[in-house]
Amino acid sequence: MKTITNILLFAAAFALTSCYEQQNQIHLRTEVRSDDLGNNIVTRPVAFAFSALIGEGIEITEAVTKRNDAAFLELHVSGYNRSYKTKRFRYRVEWLDESGLLIQSKTSVWLPASAMGKSPFSLKAVAPRPKAVSFRMDTRKWE
Amino acid sequence: MKARILEIIAFFAILIAGCAQETVTIDIMHDEGKAVMALDYRDFDQAASEMIQSMLGSGAMKKTSGGRYVVTTGRIINDTMQRIDTNQLMAKIEEELLNSGQVVMTSAVGNARKQGAVDKMIYDVRDIRDSGVGDEFDEETLPAKRQLIAPELSISGKIFQRNIRYDKNRQQVEYYFQLKITDLTTGLRFWQKETIIGKRGSNKSVAW
Repeated sequence: MKTITNILLFAAAFALTSCYEQQNQIHLRTEVRSDDLGNNIVTRPVAFAFSALIGEGIEITEAVTKRNDAAFLELHVSGYNRSYKTKRFRYRVEWLDESGLLIQSKTSVWLPASAMGKSPFSLKAVAPRPKAVSFRMDTRKWE
Repeated sequence: MKARILEIIAFFAILIAGCAQETVTIDIMHDEGKAVMALDYRDFDQAASEMIQSMLGSGAMKKTSGGRYVVTTGRIINDTMQRIDTNQLMAKIEEELLNSGQVVMTSAVGNARKQGAVDKMIYDVRDIRDSGVGDEFDEETLPAKRQLIAPELSISGKIFQRNIRYDKNRQQVEYYFQLKITDLTTGLRFWQKETIIGKRGSNKSVAW
């Protein structure tokens, strides 16, 4: 019973520390910053394994569009890689006109992107025509 | 005995035919094929897309006095070990710049080395006008002198390659795509970008 309680306490402590996200502008990574109770040489492999087990990955936190000075729509995507591993993926942005129809463009190709583990990332795309009013973005695994 | 030999030959022929690699058409839109050490169409797509987005996003192609810039493609140097037609990159960029509505490309002036940059017919028609054959044409349908518009901006650049030994069995090949836009009146550079595509693979792979 005592062992089970200890395991539960450890799991709870780990869950709490893993939920902690650095909101600062300066990001000190694991093995650069000082170790703490929830992230040290002993707990790190467990955290890595747990993260992989539950399949943590990329999360999009914000997608903002704005029209630039040259009248082209710009898409700024912000996200966070919840995994401990660097995630490499491809993304494609397609632009839509006022009628919701696809604007054919050579810029709508699969482009590479990557985000380091437990880190925020940003993507930027520029519409190829001023008539673009909306977008759709797709992602796929980096082969 | 003869029939037996024929049977064996037929058996092996079928076996070999079954092992032959089937030819398939590449799904250009969603190609999940493995990367290759040399530059393939996906690399040109990526480089062109990044270049176009940067050009349009920078606002360098927007004419502050109104109207559209007249743009020509200057010299794009291929300094890789591969036989590349730089049109693979520039055709996409020219198409998107034209479609953006911000610029107009000229076929009257361009890099003489780049096939297709200059439309020779522009000058052939003028040769006709200035020759005796011109008398055979309705004068009004022949272009008058001083009608061509000189370019205001030029796109030039370079694609080059660096091969590096990564370890005993692997090599690293770096491809650099560099483009710049220059104002032909003032010589000032309005825009510049470099896109790097790096590949790491077996020493046995040939990158040219």
